[in-house]
Amino acid sequence: MSRAYRITVKESETRELRGSDEICTQLELLEILPPEQMADLLKGELKNRGFEEQDDGTLARKDGKLTVTVDPCNGEVSVKSEVDEKVTIEAKRDATTYDDVGPGEKAVRDRVKDQLKQDIEKKAERETERLQTQATEALEKHLEELQPELGQVINKVTRDALKQKAQQLGTVKEIHEDAETGSLTIKIEV
Amino acid sequence: MTTLTDPLSPAPEPAGPPAVSRFEYNLLRILRFLLGSMPADQAQTLVHAKFQPAPPCLTRTCVRLIRDTLSKATVLHLVRAGGWRRDRFLRAGQPIEGRVWDRLPLATRELSFSKHTLSFLVWLTSEKPTDTKEVWDAPPGELTAGDELFFSMAFDALRPLQDVVPTIAGKNVFDLNPLCWLLCPADFANTDEPELPNFSPYMMGTRAAILECLQPVLAQRWIRSERSKGQIGDWKRMRHQGRAELAMLASFLKVAETSSRTDLARFVLRTATVILGNTELTPSFWTGGLQGSGPLRLADRLDTQRSALALPRQLDTLHRWDRAARAIGYFDDGYEASQLWKADWELARGDEITTRAKRILDQLEPLKI
Repeated sequence: MSRAYRITVKESETRELRGSDEICTQLELLEILPPEQMADLLKGELKNRGFEEQDDGTLARKDGKLTVTVDPCNGEVSVKSEVDEKVTIEAKRDATTYDDVGPGEKAVRDRVKDQLKQDIEKKAERETERLQTQATEALEKHLEELQPELGQVINKVTRDALKQKAQQLGTVKEIHEDAETGSLTIKIEV
Repeated sequence: MTTLTDPLSPAPEPAGPPAVSRFEYNLLRILRFLLGSMPADQAQTLVHAKFQPAPPCLTRTCVRLIRDTLSKATVLHLVRAGGWRRDRFLRAGQPIEGRVWDRLPLATRELSFSKHTLSFLVWLTSEKPTDTKEVWDAPPGELTAGDELFFSMAFDALRPLQDVVPTIAGKNVFDLNPLCWLLCPADFANTDEPELPNFSPYMMGTRAAILECLQPVLAQRWIRSERSKGQIGDWKRMRHQGRAELAMLASFLKVAETSSRTDLARFVLRTATVILGNTELTPSFWTGGLQGSGPLRLADRLDTQRSALALPRQLDTLHRWDRAARAIGYFDDGYEASQLWKADWELARGDEITTRAKRILDQLEPLKI
Protein backbone atom coordinates (compact mmCIF):
# COMPACT_ATOMS: atom_id res chain seq x y z
CA MET A 1 0.00 0.00 0.00
CA SER A 2 1.26 3.51 -0.86
CA ARG A 3 0.81 6.62 1.20
CA ALA A 4 -0.01 9.96 -0.37
CA TYR A 5 2.18 12.92 0.51
CA ARG A 6 1.19 16.54 0.01
CA ILE A 7 3.98 18.82 -1.18
CA THR A 8 3.56 22.57 -0.73
CA VAL A 9 5.84 24.78 -2.76
CA LYS A 10 6.08 28.53 -2.23
CA GLU A 11 7.86 31.01 -4.46
CA SER A 12 8.40 34.69 -3.89
CA GLU A 13 10.00 37.25 -6.19
CA THR A 14 10.61 40.97 -5.83
CA ARG A 15 10.44 42.94 -9.04
CA GLU A 16 10.70 46.56 -10.05
CA LEU A 17 7.60 47.08 -12.20
CA ARG A 18 6.85 50.13 -14.28
CA GLY A 19 3.86 51.65 -16.05
CA SER A 20 4.29 54.60 -18.36
CA ASP A 21 2.27 56.70 -20.77
CA GLU A 22 3.15 59.66 -22.94
CA ILE A 23 1.44 62.03 -25.30
CA CYS A 24 2.99 64.49 -27.71
CA THR A 25 1.31 67.48 -29.25
CA GLN A 26 2.13 70.83 -30.77
CA LEU A 27 1.75 74.35 -29.37
CA GLU A 28 0.57 76.81 -31.95
CA LEU A 29 2.30 80.13 -31.76
CA LEU A 30 1.43 82.92 -34.18
CA GLU A 31 4.37 84.05 -36.27
CA ILE A 32 4.34 87.64 -35.02
CA LEU A 33 8.12 87.82 -34.69
CA PRO A 34 10.82 85.67 -36.35
CA PRO A 35 10.79 82.06 -35.03
CA GLU A 36 13.99 82.52 -32.99
CA GLN A 37 12.53 85.50 -31.12
CA MET A 38 9.23 83.68 -30.54
CA ALA A 39 11.22 80.73 -29.18
CA ASP A 40 13.11 83.06 -26.81
CA LEU A 41 9.87 84.56 -25.51
CA LEU A 42 8.42 81.10 -24.99
CA LYS A 43 11.57 79.97 -23.24
CA GLY A 44 11.46 82.98 -20.90
CA GLU A 45 7.82 82.45 -19.99
CA LEU A 46 8.30 78.72 -19.38
CA LYS A 47 11.31 79.42 -17.13
CA ASN A 48 9.12 81.78 -15.08
CA ARG A 49 6.79 78.85 -14.55
CA GLY A 50 9.44 76.53 -13.20
CA PHE A 51 10.70 74.87 -16.39
CA GLU A 52 14.41 74.16 -16.55
CA GLU A 53 16.53 74.17 -19.66
CA GLN A 54 18.00 70.80 -20.63
CA ASP A 55 21.21 69.98 -22.53
CA ASP A 56 19.28 69.43 -25.75
CA GLY A 57 17.70 72.90 -25.60
CA THR A 58 14.28 71.70 -24.45
CA LEU A 59 12.63 72.89 -21.25
CA ALA A 60 11.36 70.36 -18.75
CA ARG A 61 9.43 70.44 -15.48
CA LYS A 62 8.72 67.56 -13.14
CA ASP A 63 5.26 67.57 -11.63
CA GLY A 64 5.43 64.61 -9.28
CA LYS A 65 5.49 61.48 -11.42
CA LEU A 66 4.91 63.48 -14.56
CA THR A 67 7.42 65.26 -16.75
CA VAL A 68 6.37 68.05 -19.11
CA THR A 69 8.88 68.81 -21.86
CA VAL A 70 8.56 71.68 -24.32
CA ASP A 71 10.78 72.25 -27.33
CA PRO A 72 10.67 76.04 -27.79
CA CYS A 73 12.03 75.81 -31.36
CA ASN A 74 9.07 73.89 -32.80
CA GLY A 75 6.52 74.13 -29.96
CA GLU A 76 6.41 70.36 -29.44
CA VAL A 77 5.06 69.42 -26.02
CA SER A 78 5.40 65.99 -24.50
CA VAL A 79 3.86 64.93 -21.24
CA LYS A 80 5.18 61.72 -19.75
CA SER A 81 3.79 59.86 -16.81
CA GLU A 82 5.81 57.12 -15.11
CA VAL A 83 4.85 55.01 -12.15
CA ASP A 84 7.26 52.43 -10.78
CA GLU A 85 6.94 50.24 -7.75
CA LYS A 86 8.90 47.49 -6.07
CA VAL A 87 6.44 44.65 -5.86
CA THR A 88 6.88 41.36 -4.03
CA ILE A 89 4.92 38.67 -5.78
CA GLU A 90 4.16 35.48 -3.95
CA ALA A 91 2.70 32.24 -5.23
CA LYS A 92 1.92 28.96 -3.55
CA ARG A 93 0.83 25.58 -4.90
CA ASP A 94 0.08 22.17 -3.46
CA ALA A 95 0.70 18.83 -5.16
CA THR A 96 0.21 15.20 -4.19
CA THR A 97 2.80 12.46 -4.62
CA TYR A 98 3.11 8.86 -3.47
CA ASP A 99 6.84 9.11 -2.69
CA ASP A 100 8.29 11.42 -0.05
CA VAL A 101 11.82 11.06 -1.54
CA GLY A 102 13.39 9.98 -4.83
CA PRO A 103 12.84 10.86 -8.51
CA GLY A 104 9.02 10.84 -8.28
CA GLU A 105 9.00 13.51 -5.59
CA LYS A 106 11.60 15.60 -7.47
CA ALA A 107 9.60 15.45 -10.71
CA VAL A 108 6.45 16.64 -8.94
CA ARG A 109 8.35 19.41 -7.18
CA ASP A 110 9.90 20.58 -10.52
CA ARG A 111 6.51 20.56 -12.22
CA VAL A 112 4.98 22.63 -9.43
CA LYS A 113 7.89 25.07 -9.59
CA ASP A 114 7.30 25.57 -13.32
CA GLN A 115 3.63 26.24 -12.66
CA LEU A 116 4.58 28.70 -9.93
CA LYS A 117 6.82 30.58 -12.34
CA GLN A 118 3.88 30.95 -14.71
CA ASP A 119 1.68 32.12 -11.81
CA ILE A 120 4.26 34.74 -10.88
CA GLU A 121 4.46 35.95 -14.48
CA LYS A 122 0.68 36.30 -14.64
CA LYS A 123 0.60 38.19 -11.33
CA ALA A 124 3.42 40.44 -12.54
CA GLU A 125 1.44 41.18 -15.72
CA ARG A 126 -1.61 42.11 -13.65
CA GLU A 127 0.49 44.36 -11.44
CA THR A 128 2.04 46.03 -14.50
CA GLU A 129 -1.45 46.64 -15.88
CA ARG A 130 -2.45 48.20 -12.57
CA LEU A 131 0.57 50.52 -12.67
CA GLN A 132 -0.13 51.25 -16.31
CA THR A 133 -3.70 52.31 -15.45
CA GLN A 134 -2.36 54.49 -12.63
CA ALA A 135 0.09 56.18 -14.99
CA THR A 136 -2.61 56.80 -17.62
CA GLU A 137 -5.07 58.16 -15.06
CA ALA A 138 -2.40 60.48 -13.67
CA LEU A 139 -1.62 61.67 -17.19
CA GLU A 140 -5.27 62.31 -18.05
CA LYS A 141 -5.78 64.24 -14.80
CA HIS A 142 -2.66 66.29 -15.32
CA LEU A 143 -3.63 67.18 -18.89
CA GLU A 144 -6.77 68.88 -17.59
CA GLU A 145 -4.63 71.06 -15.32
CA LEU A 146 -1.91 71.64 -17.90
CA GLN A 147 -4.18 72.82 -20.70
CA PRO A 148 -5.20 76.16 -19.06
CA GLU A 149 -1.61 76.77 -18.02
CA LEU A 150 -0.32 76.31 -21.55
CA GLY A 151 -3.12 78.59 -22.75
CA GLN A 152 -1.85 81.28 -20.40
CA VAL A 153 1.72 80.74 -21.63
CA ILE A 154 0.66 81.18 -25.26
CA ASN A 155 -1.37 84.29 -24.42
CA LYS A 156 1.54 85.83 -22.54
CA VAL A 157 4.00 85.05 -25.34
CA THR A 158 1.61 86.46 -27.96
CA ARG A 159 1.07 89.66 -25.94
CA ASP A 160 4.82 90.16 -25.46
CA ALA A 161 5.46 89.48 -29.13
CA LEU A 162 2.80 92.04 -30.13
CA LYS A 163 4.35 94.63 -27.86
CA GLN A 164 7.80 94.03 -29.35
CA LYS A 165 6.40 94.17 -32.86
CA ALA A 166 4.63 97.44 -32.06
CA GLN A 167 7.91 98.92 -30.83
CA GLN A 168 9.54 97.91 -34.11
CA LEU A 169 6.78 99.57 -36.11
CA GLY A 170 6.92 102.98 -34.39
CA THR A 171 6.67 104.78 -31.06
CA VAL A 172 4.28 103.13 -28.64
CA LYS A 173 1.90 105.81 -27.30
CA GLU A 174 -0.46 103.72 -25.24
CA ILE A 175 -0.94 100.12 -24.20
CA HIS A 176 -4.24 99.00 -22.77
CA GLU A 177 -4.75 95.46 -21.49
CA ASP A 178 -8.09 94.12 -20.34
CA ALA A 179 -7.51 91.11 -18.11
CA GLU A 180 -11.18 90.11 -18.18
CA THR A 181 -11.66 89.96 -21.93
CA GLY A 182 -8.01 89.29 -22.70
CA SER A 183 -7.94 92.13 -25.25
CA LEU A 184 -4.79 94.13 -25.87
CA THR A 185 -4.84 97.57 -27.53
CA ILE A 186 -1.61 99.18 -28.57
CA LYS A 187 -1.53 102.67 -30.03
CA ILE A 188 1.59 103.50 -31.99
CA GLU A 189 2.84 106.55 -33.82
CA VAL A 190 4.55 105.72 -37.07
CA MET B 1 -4.91 48.90 -78.45
CA THR B 2 -4.03 45.80 -76.45
CA THR B 3 -1.40 43.19 -77.23
CA LEU B 4 0.08 40.15 -75.57
CA THR B 5 3.85 40.22 -75.19
CA ASP B 6 3.99 36.86 -76.93
CA PRO B 7 2.02 37.51 -80.13
CA LEU B 8 0.43 34.53 -81.75
CA SER B 9 0.43 33.98 -85.41
CA PRO B 10 -3.08 33.86 -86.78
CA ALA B 11 -4.30 30.32 -87.29
CA PRO B 12 -7.28 29.22 -89.34
CA GLU B 13 -10.30 28.66 -87.12
CA PRO B 14 -12.85 25.94 -87.83
CA ALA B 15 -16.35 27.08 -88.58
CA GLY B 16 -18.74 27.41 -85.62
CA PRO B 17 -18.06 28.33 -82.00
CA PRO B 18 -14.45 27.96 -80.79
CA ALA B 19 -13.77 24.61 -79.11
CA VAL B 20 -11.77 24.48 -75.87
CA SER B 21 -11.13 21.82 -73.23
CA ARG B 22 -13.11 21.64 -69.97
CA PHE B 23 -10.18 23.16 -68.06
CA GLU B 24 -9.90 26.02 -70.52
CA TYR B 25 -13.65 26.57 -70.42
CA ASN B 26 -13.45 27.00 -66.63
CA LEU B 27 -10.41 29.24 -66.97
CA LEU B 28 -12.26 31.49 -69.41
CA ARG B 29 -15.26 31.71 -67.09
CA ILE B 30 -12.98 32.63 -64.15
CA LEU B 31 -11.34 35.25 -66.36
CA ARG B 32 -14.74 36.73 -67.19
CA PHE B 33 -15.54 36.84 -63.48
CA LEU B 34 -12.24 38.54 -62.62
CA LEU B 35 -12.88 41.17 -65.27
CA GLY B 36 -16.30 41.97 -63.87
CA SER B 37 -18.51 40.14 -66.37
CA MET B 38 -19.90 37.57 -63.94
CA PRO B 39 -21.31 38.00 -60.40
CA ALA B 40 -19.30 36.63 -57.48
CA ASP B 41 -21.99 34.19 -56.30
CA GLN B 42 -21.94 32.44 -59.69
CA ALA B 43 -18.16 32.28 -59.82
CA GLN B 44 -17.71 31.18 -56.21
CA THR B 45 -17.97 27.48 -57.03
CA LEU B 46 -15.51 27.80 -59.88
CA VAL B 47 -12.92 29.65 -57.76
CA HIS B 48 -13.21 27.18 -54.90
CA ALA B 49 -13.03 24.09 -57.11
CA LYS B 50 -9.84 22.29 -58.10
CA PHE B 51 -9.52 21.35 -61.78
CA GLN B 52 -6.49 19.12 -61.81
CA PRO B 53 -4.20 18.34 -63.36
CA ALA B 54 -3.60 21.61 -65.16
CA PRO B 55 -2.63 21.03 -68.80
CA PRO B 56 1.03 21.65 -69.67
CA CYS B 57 -0.03 24.42 -72.03
CA LEU B 58 -3.14 26.14 -73.30
CA THR B 59 -4.46 25.71 -76.81
CA ARG B 60 -4.09 28.42 -79.41
CA THR B 61 -7.85 28.98 -79.39
CA CYS B 62 -7.93 29.46 -75.64
CA VAL B 63 -5.03 31.93 -75.68
CA ARG B 64 -6.75 33.85 -78.47
CA LEU B 65 -9.94 34.02 -76.42
CA ILE B 66 -8.01 35.15 -73.31
CA ARG B 67 -6.30 37.85 -75.34
CA ASP B 68 -9.60 38.96 -76.81
CA THR B 69 -11.32 39.05 -73.40
CA LEU B 70 -8.44 40.89 -71.71
CA SER B 71 -8.13 43.49 -74.45
CA LYS B 72 -11.82 44.29 -74.52
CA ALA B 73 -12.57 44.12 -70.80
CA THR B 74 -9.60 46.13 -69.52
CA VAL B 75 -10.11 48.90 -72.06
CA LEU B 76 -13.85 48.97 -71.37
CA HIS B 77 -13.11 49.11 -67.64
CA LEU B 78 -10.80 52.12 -68.03
CA VAL B 79 -13.17 53.94 -70.37
CA ARG B 80 -16.15 53.39 -68.08
CA ALA B 81 -14.13 54.30 -64.98
CA GLY B 82 -13.41 57.77 -66.28
CA GLY B 83 -11.53 57.63 -69.57
CA TRP B 84 -14.63 58.82 -71.43
CA ARG B 85 -14.76 62.08 -69.48
CA ARG B 86 -13.63 65.29 -71.09
CA ASP B 87 -11.05 66.09 -68.44
CA ARG B 88 -7.83 68.04 -68.04
CA PHE B 89 -4.55 66.41 -67.08
CA LEU B 90 -0.91 67.39 -67.33
CA ARG B 91 1.26 66.19 -70.17
CA ALA B 92 4.86 67.44 -70.21
CA GLY B 93 3.82 70.17 -67.77
CA GLN B 94 0.95 71.42 -69.96
CA PRO B 95 -2.73 70.82 -69.22
CA ILE B 96 -4.35 68.89 -72.07
CA GLU B 97 -8.12 68.67 -72.29
CA GLY B 98 -10.21 65.91 -73.80
CA ARG B 99 -11.17 62.28 -73.45
CA VAL B 100 -8.31 59.90 -72.70
CA TRP B 101 -7.94 58.88 -76.37
CA ASP B 102 -7.80 62.57 -77.37
CA ARG B 103 -5.30 63.54 -74.70
CA LEU B 104 -2.78 60.73 -75.01
CA PRO B 105 -1.03 59.16 -78.02
CA LEU B 106 -1.75 55.53 -78.85
CA ALA B 107 1.69 54.36 -77.63
CA THR B 108 0.88 55.60 -74.10
CA ARG B 109 -2.47 53.84 -74.13
CA GLU B 110 -1.19 50.42 -75.16
CA LEU B 111 -1.60 47.65 -72.61
CA SER B 112 0.50 44.51 -72.69
CA PHE B 113 0.13 41.40 -70.55
CA SER B 114 2.98 39.12 -69.52
CA LYS B 115 3.06 35.37 -68.82
CA HIS B 116 2.23 36.11 -65.17
CA THR B 117 -1.38 36.98 -66.02
CA LEU B 118 -1.77 33.63 -67.77
CA SER B 119 0.00 31.68 -65.05
CA PHE B 120 -2.28 33.26 -62.41
CA LEU B 121 -5.34 32.21 -64.40
CA VAL B 122 -4.03 28.65 -64.71
CA TRP B 123 -3.25 28.58 -60.98
CA LEU B 124 -6.66 29.94 -59.95
CA THR B 125 -8.41 27.43 -62.20
CA SER B 126 -6.43 24.39 -61.12
CA GLU B 127 -6.07 25.21 -57.41
CA LYS B 128 -8.39 26.11 -54.57
CA PRO B 129 -6.90 29.38 -53.27
CA THR B 130 -7.75 28.60 -49.66
CA ASP B 131 -6.31 25.08 -49.81
CA THR B 132 -3.31 24.85 -52.08
CA LYS B 133 0.21 23.56 -51.78
CA GLU B 134 1.42 25.51 -54.79
CA VAL B 135 2.37 28.97 -53.57
CA TRP B 136 1.86 30.96 -56.75
CA ASP B 137 3.26 34.49 -56.98
CA ALA B 138 5.15 36.72 -59.40
CA PRO B 139 7.96 39.24 -58.88
CA PRO B 140 6.44 42.75 -58.96
CA GLY B 141 9.35 44.01 -61.06
CA GLU B 142 8.31 41.76 -63.96
CA LEU B 143 4.72 42.96 -64.11
CA THR B 144 3.60 45.22 -66.94
CA ALA B 145 1.10 48.06 -66.52
CA GLY B 146 -1.54 45.75 -68.05
CA ASP B 147 -0.71 43.01 -65.55
CA GLU B 148 -1.03 45.39 -62.63
CA LEU B 149 -4.36 46.64 -63.91
CA PHE B 150 -5.54 43.05 -64.39
CA PHE B 151 -4.44 42.02 -60.90
CA SER B 152 -6.15 45.04 -59.36
CA MET B 153 -9.38 44.12 -61.19
CA ALA B 154 -8.98 40.50 -60.12
CA PHE B 155 -8.47 41.50 -56.48
CA ASP B 156 -11.53 43.69 -56.67
CA ALA B 157 -13.61 40.84 -58.09
CA LEU B 158 -12.36 38.39 -55.46
CA ARG B 159 -13.05 40.75 -52.53
CA PRO B 160 -16.64 39.54 -51.98
CA LEU B 161 -15.24 36.02 -51.41
CA GLN B 162 -14.35 36.62 -47.76
CA ASP B 163 -12.24 33.48 -47.30
CA VAL B 164 -10.15 34.04 -50.44
CA VAL B 165 -9.04 37.63 -49.78
CA PRO B 166 -6.80 36.94 -46.73
CA THR B 167 -5.09 34.11 -48.66
CA ILE B 168 -4.29 36.11 -51.76
CA ALA B 169 -3.72 39.54 -50.15
CA GLY B 170 -0.26 38.43 -49.04
CA LYS B 171 0.89 37.70 -52.61
CA ASN B 172 3.30 40.26 -54.05
CA VAL B 173 1.17 40.80 -57.16
CA PHE B 174 -1.51 42.28 -54.91
CA ASP B 175 0.37 43.35 -51.78
CA LEU B 176 2.94 45.39 -53.73
CA ASN B 177 0.57 46.49 -56.49
CA PRO B 178 0.13 50.30 -56.34
CA LEU B 179 -3.35 50.07 -57.90
CA CYS B 180 -4.57 47.60 -55.28
CA TRP B 181 -3.23 49.89 -52.56
CA LEU B 182 -4.86 52.97 -54.05
CA LEU B 183 -8.20 51.21 -54.42
CA CYS B 184 -8.42 49.38 -51.11
CA PRO B 185 -5.55 50.03 -48.67
CA ALA B 186 -7.58 48.60 -45.79
CA ASP B 187 -7.21 45.09 -47.24
CA PHE B 188 -3.42 45.28 -46.80
CA ALA B 189 -3.49 46.79 -43.32
CA ASN B 190 -2.23 43.97 -41.14
CA THR B 191 0.63 45.59 -39.27
CA ASP B 192 1.54 48.89 -37.64
CA GLU B 193 4.30 49.44 -40.20
CA PRO B 194 2.94 48.36 -43.60
CA GLU B 195 5.27 47.78 -46.55
CA LEU B 196 4.23 50.19 -49.29
CA PRO B 197 4.54 49.73 -53.06
CA ASN B 198 6.49 52.17 -55.21
CA PHE B 199 4.15 54.76 -56.71
CA SER B 200 6.80 56.45 -58.90
CA PRO B 201 6.07 54.40 -62.07
CA TYR B 202 2.47 55.64 -61.91
CA MET B 203 3.54 59.20 -62.58
CA MET B 204 4.39 58.63 -66.26
CA GLY B 205 3.51 56.67 -69.37
CA THR B 206 0.83 54.02 -69.53
CA ARG B 207 0.53 53.71 -65.77
CA ALA B 208 -0.20 57.44 -65.42
CA ALA B 209 -2.83 57.06 -68.16
CA ILE B 210 -4.46 54.28 -66.12
CA LEU B 211 -4.44 56.49 -63.04
CA GLU B 212 -6.02 59.36 -65.00
CA CYS B 213 -8.86 57.06 -66.07
CA LEU B 214 -9.36 55.71 -62.55
CA GLN B 215 -9.66 59.09 -60.80
CA PRO B 216 -13.50 59.02 -60.40
CA VAL B 217 -13.42 55.37 -59.22
CA LEU B 218 -10.67 56.15 -56.71
CA ALA B 219 -12.65 59.10 -55.36
CA GLN B 220 -15.78 56.91 -55.01
CA ARG B 221 -13.83 54.21 -53.21
CA TRP B 222 -12.24 56.62 -50.76
CA ILE B 223 -15.53 58.35 -50.05
CA ARG B 224 -17.14 54.98 -49.32
CA SER B 225 -14.21 53.91 -47.17
CA GLU B 226 -14.22 57.14 -45.16
CA ARG B 227 -17.98 56.92 -44.61
CA SER B 228 -17.75 53.34 -43.36
CA LYS B 229 -14.89 54.06 -40.97
CA GLY B 230 -17.36 55.20 -38.33
CA GLN B 231 -18.61 51.62 -38.14
CA ILE B 232 -15.27 50.08 -37.20
CA GLY B 233 -15.52 48.91 -33.62
CA ASP B 234 -12.14 47.24 -33.18
CA TRP B 235 -9.35 49.58 -32.04
CA LYS B 236 -6.59 47.41 -33.46
CA ARG B 237 -8.22 47.20 -36.89
CA MET B 238 -8.78 50.95 -36.91
CA ARG B 239 -5.15 51.58 -36.02
CA HIS B 240 -3.90 49.26 -38.76
CA GLN B 241 -6.23 50.69 -41.38
CA GLY B 242 -5.54 54.28 -40.38
CA ARG B 243 -1.80 53.78 -40.39
CA ALA B 244 -1.90 52.04 -43.78
CA GLU B 245 -3.97 54.86 -45.28
CA LEU B 246 -1.83 57.52 -43.69
CA ALA B 247 1.41 55.98 -44.95
CA MET B 248 -0.04 55.30 -48.41
CA LEU B 249 -1.47 58.80 -48.92
CA ALA B 250 1.70 60.47 -47.63
CA SER B 251 3.86 58.36 -49.93
CA PHE B 252 1.60 58.87 -52.96
CA LEU B 253 1.35 62.65 -52.47
CA LYS B 254 5.10 62.92 -52.03
CA VAL B 255 5.72 61.07 -55.31
CA ALA B 256 3.06 63.16 -57.10
CA GLU B 257 4.70 66.36 -55.88
CA THR B 258 8.25 65.38 -56.81
CA SER B 259 7.07 64.18 -60.25
CA SER B 260 5.06 67.39 -60.80
CA ARG B 261 1.90 65.34 -61.32
CA THR B 262 -0.27 66.92 -58.64
CA ASP B 263 -3.21 66.44 -61.03
CA LEU B 264 -3.06 62.69 -60.31
CA ALA B 265 -3.90 63.40 -56.66
CA ARG B 266 -7.21 64.93 -57.68
CA PHE B 267 -9.12 62.01 -56.18
CA VAL B 268 -7.78 62.92 -52.72
CA LEU B 269 -9.05 66.46 -53.16
CA ARG B 270 -12.46 65.28 -54.41
CA THR B 271 -12.81 62.85 -51.52
CA ALA B 272 -11.93 65.60 -49.05
CA THR B 273 -14.48 67.96 -50.62
CA VAL B 274 -17.29 65.43 -50.25
CA ILE B 275 -16.35 64.21 -46.77
CA LEU B 276 -15.45 67.58 -45.29
CA GLY B 277 -18.38 69.32 -46.97
CA ASN B 278 -20.44 68.77 -43.83
CA THR B 279 -20.00 71.78 -41.55
CA GLU B 280 -21.03 69.83 -38.44
CA LEU B 281 -18.35 67.18 -38.85
CA THR B 282 -16.45 66.07 -35.72
CA PRO B 283 -13.78 63.36 -35.16
CA SER B 284 -16.55 60.95 -34.12
CA PHE B 285 -17.50 60.68 -37.81
CA TRP B 286 -14.39 58.49 -38.09
CA THR B 287 -13.95 57.17 -34.55
CA GLY B 288 -17.54 57.06 -33.28
CA GLY B 289 -17.87 53.31 -33.80
CA LEU B 290 -14.91 52.28 -31.64
CA GLN B 291 -16.12 49.93 -28.92
CA GLY B 292 -15.07 49.99 -25.28
CA SER B 293 -12.40 52.15 -23.73
CA GLY B 294 -9.70 50.81 -26.05
CA PRO B 295 -6.04 50.24 -25.19
CA LEU B 296 -4.84 50.94 -21.66
CA ARG B 297 -2.37 53.63 -22.66
CA LEU B 298 -3.64 57.06 -23.63
CA ALA B 299 -0.78 57.24 -26.14
CA ASP B 300 -2.14 54.16 -27.99
CA ARG B 301 -5.72 55.46 -27.94
CA LEU B 302 -4.61 58.81 -29.29
CA ASP B 303 -2.46 57.17 -31.94
CA THR B 304 -5.44 55.12 -33.15
CA GLN B 305 -7.71 58.17 -33.27
CA ARG B 306 -5.09 60.25 -35.05
CA SER B 307 -4.53 57.49 -37.62
CA ALA B 308 -8.26 57.20 -38.25
CA LEU B 309 -8.23 60.78 -39.53
CA ALA B 310 -5.73 59.98 -42.28
CA LEU B 311 -7.64 61.93 -44.93
CA PRO B 312 -8.03 65.29 -43.12
CA ARG B 313 -4.33 65.11 -42.31
CA GLN B 314 -3.50 65.31 -46.04
CA LEU B 315 -5.15 68.72 -46.42
CA ASP B 316 -2.03 70.31 -44.99
CA THR B 317 0.03 68.95 -47.90
CA LEU B 318 -2.58 69.94 -50.49
CA HIS B 319 -2.79 73.43 -48.97
CA ARG B 320 0.98 73.73 -49.22
CA TRP B 321 0.74 72.81 -52.91
CA ASP B 322 -1.81 75.57 -53.35
CA ARG B 323 0.44 78.15 -51.68
CA ALA B 324 3.31 77.03 -53.91
CA ALA B 325 1.07 77.28 -56.99
CA ARG B 326 0.03 80.81 -56.03
CA ALA B 327 3.67 81.86 -55.79
CA ILE B 328 4.36 80.88 -59.43
CA GLY B 329 4.31 83.90 -61.75
CA TYR B 330 3.21 84.13 -65.38
CA PHE B 331 6.79 83.98 -66.70
CA ASP B 332 7.90 81.20 -64.32
CA ASP B 333 8.29 77.53 -65.19
CA GLY B 334 5.25 75.45 -64.33
CA TYR B 335 2.80 78.34 -64.65
CA GLU B 336 0.23 76.29 -66.61
CA ALA B 337 0.46 73.37 -64.16
CA SER B 338 0.02 75.74 -61.23
CA GLN B 339 -3.05 77.26 -62.90
CA LEU B 340 -4.55 73.77 -63.26
CA TRP B 341 -3.96 73.03 -59.57
CA LYS B 342 -5.45 76.37 -58.53
CA ALA B 343 -8.54 75.67 -60.64
CA ASP B 344 -8.91 72.23 -58.99
CA TRP B 345 -8.36 73.77 -55.57
CA GLU B 346 -10.99 76.45 -56.07
CA LEU B 347 -13.47 73.95 -57.49
CA ALA B 348 -12.92 71.78 -54.41
CA ARG B 349 -13.34 74.80 -52.08
CA GLY B 350 -9.85 73.97 -50.83
CA ASP B 351 -9.42 76.80 -48.32
CA GLU B 352 -12.77 76.08 -46.70
CA ILE B 353 -12.16 72.36 -46.30
CA THR B 354 -8.61 72.93 -45.05
CA THR B 355 -9.92 75.17 -42.26
CA ARG B 356 -12.54 72.54 -41.43
CA ALA B 357 -9.98 69.73 -41.43
CA LYS B 358 -7.75 71.72 -39.08
CA ARG B 359 -10.64 72.36 -36.70
CA ILE B 360 -11.49 68.65 -36.65
CA LEU B 361 -7.88 67.62 -36.07
CA ASP B 362 -7.54 70.16 -33.26
CA GLN B 363 -10.56 68.63 -31.51
CA LEU B 364 -8.63 65.41 -31.23
CA GLU B 365 -5.54 66.94 -29.65
CA PRO B 366 -5.57 66.87 -25.85
CA LEU B 367 -3.61 70.10 -25.32
CA LYS B 368 -4.97 72.28 -28.10
CA ILE B 369 -5.87 75.74 -26.90
